[in-house]
Amino acid sequence: MTAAIQIEELVKVYKGGIRAVDKVSLEVEEQEIFGFLGPNGAGKSTTIKCVIGLLRPTAGRILIGGTDARQNPKLVKRMIGYASQETAIDDRLSGWQNLSLQGRFFHLTRKEIAKRGEEVLHLCGLWERRNDSAGTYSGGMLKRLDIAAALIHQPRVLFLDEPTLGLDVQTRKVIWEYIQKLRTEQRMTIFLTTHYMEEADVLCNRLGIIDRGKIMAIGAPGALKAQIGGDIISARFVAPDERVSVLVKAISALPETASVTAMGEGLQRIVARQRGDQLIPEVFALAARSEVSVESIRLHRPSLDDVYLHFTGREMRDEQGSREDTRKTRMTQRRMRR
Amino acid sequence: MTFLSDVWYVAWRELVVFVRTPVRIIMTVIQPLIWLGLMGNMMQGMMRGPGLDQILGTSNYLTFMTPGIILMTVLFGGAFSGMSIVWDRRTGYLEKLLAAPISRAAIPFGKAFAASVQAGVQILIIAAIALALGVHFATGVLGLVVILLIAMCFSLILSSLSLCLAARIKSPETLMAVVNFLTMPLMFASTALFPKEAMPGWLATVATYNPVTYAVNAIRHLTVSGWNWLAIASSLGILAGLTIAVLTLSRFLFQRATAE
Repeated sequence: MTAAIQIEELVKVYKGGIRAVDKVSLEVEEQEIFGFLGPNGAGKSTTIKCVIGLLRPTAGRILIGGTDARQNPKLVKRMIGYASQETAIDDRLSGWQNLSLQGRFFHLTRKEIAKRGEEVLHLCGLWERRNDSAGTYSGGMLKRLDIAAALIHQPRVLFLDEPTLGLDVQTRKVIWEYIQKLRTEQRMTIFLTTHYMEEADVLCNRLGIIDRGKIMAIGAPGALKAQIGGDIISARFVAPDERVSVLVKAISALPETASVTAMGEGLQRIVARQRGDQLIPEVFALAARSEVSVESIRLHRPSLDDVYLHFTGREMRDEQGSREDTRKTRMTQRRMRR
Repeated sequence: MTFLSDVWYVAWRELVVFVRTPVRIIMTVIQPLIWLGLMGNMMQGMMRGPGLDQILGTSNYLTFMTPGIILMTVLFGGAFSGMSIVWDRRTGYLEKLLAAPISRAAIPFGKAFAASVQAGVQILIIAAIALALGVHFATGVLGLVVILLIAMCFSLILSSLSLCLAARIKSPETLMAVVNFLTMPLMFASTALFPKEAMPGWLATVATYNPVTYAVNAIRHLTVSGWNWLAIASSLGILAGLTIAVLTLSRFLFQRATAE
């Protein structure tokens, strides 16, 4: 069986010489929710835009259901649905008008639009509000309508670029449930990008971690977390530097310790090989011996933040996008919060 | 056929919004009313003198000015249609259009067509106001239809030009500045408001080659003197040629625009 999405060695170099996407390869199976996790500017949106034909890739191959996206762009466009992070709904039109216009752009007949439009509106729970102006919708409703519009032509694969950008926590959960429902009830394959760790963790069957245009790791969230080892202890030591470094050396030498990383401001990140609770007393004992006082100590299971840090060597921070991008993002956030 | 349907649905979106915004429609009535009622009457007083009838071709400055006002409304209306692209780019709607399997050329064509239909509505309103103010159209209803045709054709040119600019210009401020920079000289270095005979030599030369002059002369013939077939045919020919040229350019730009 062919994969729903197959990306091979995709490269995108922008005019200024910036390598936004650098040899990205991945496969997404049918009925899978695949998440692309990374900070803004990591190359997530660029990848999606290459797939849906908004950008011309510098090199590489993209296959949707086995069809080459560059050789058959019109065919592939019919096979995919796309909801951009800006939520491209025209506020001045009604929900139904937005939807039917989208159907028209996919060359559906009036009959098809009437039938399919009703289906997707029931699916996103906006059937009763269909004749209201989209300007009166809340952020969550707009997002649901936008995703519904992307489904009007019954695509095989759905691309969602930052589906919950700018939404509040409750609304975000509603959108997650909605996306889950699309997979289970509509048997959709979904490819989404996000820079929310929680979203990637809860929603995605598999993840690709992307940083500066390169894929650093691919796997199920659980498997990725298991890869970095056992529990994590974050400890803050207070003492002169040389004494702390003696202590850190001693902790690193323990058989239960996988690694110790300095996080700055006296904070040390100790990754245990397995269980961290047994490591804590030893850390205290060693600290007492090196005359270092422990200001705080915290034990936690590895989260996706740790996974991200592990594979990219840094915490997830937003890269600077272009001015226009920043403005766009800000506008989206403002719009979605209403 | 699919192409025409693509163009129609791009235009449909603009037109629904136009109809839904009563303020915009009211403003399109008020503006020419001010120009005709205020400027027209003021200039009527100023431009009184022997031999003026010969220059204007009519003793009524309002009659002379009506074609100018028609063109001006079309010019400014069309020139800003590029803004809808800038706005669509910002809201992500442009991306949505580009991701759909429609022909990319349908985007500027549809928007230009919508601008031209809006121009048509505005012209009818202006004509009605002009008639109420006592302007007499020499060629009657049939002439008015031809006037409508010329002005809508001119609107296609201007809006396509503006859309071409918007294919490249991403910020509304820059687009506004560029459009203003282009429309003002186009308007005033033409015979829209003043006869060529009243201009200094160099300006008259500029006005001769200004496309606005071609459009306004044809309309003026139809309004003031009657069926001057040669003048009408030549300006229609030039306008048609320009329309095709600008539409082709916009097609080219939009096919490339976001596929870099």
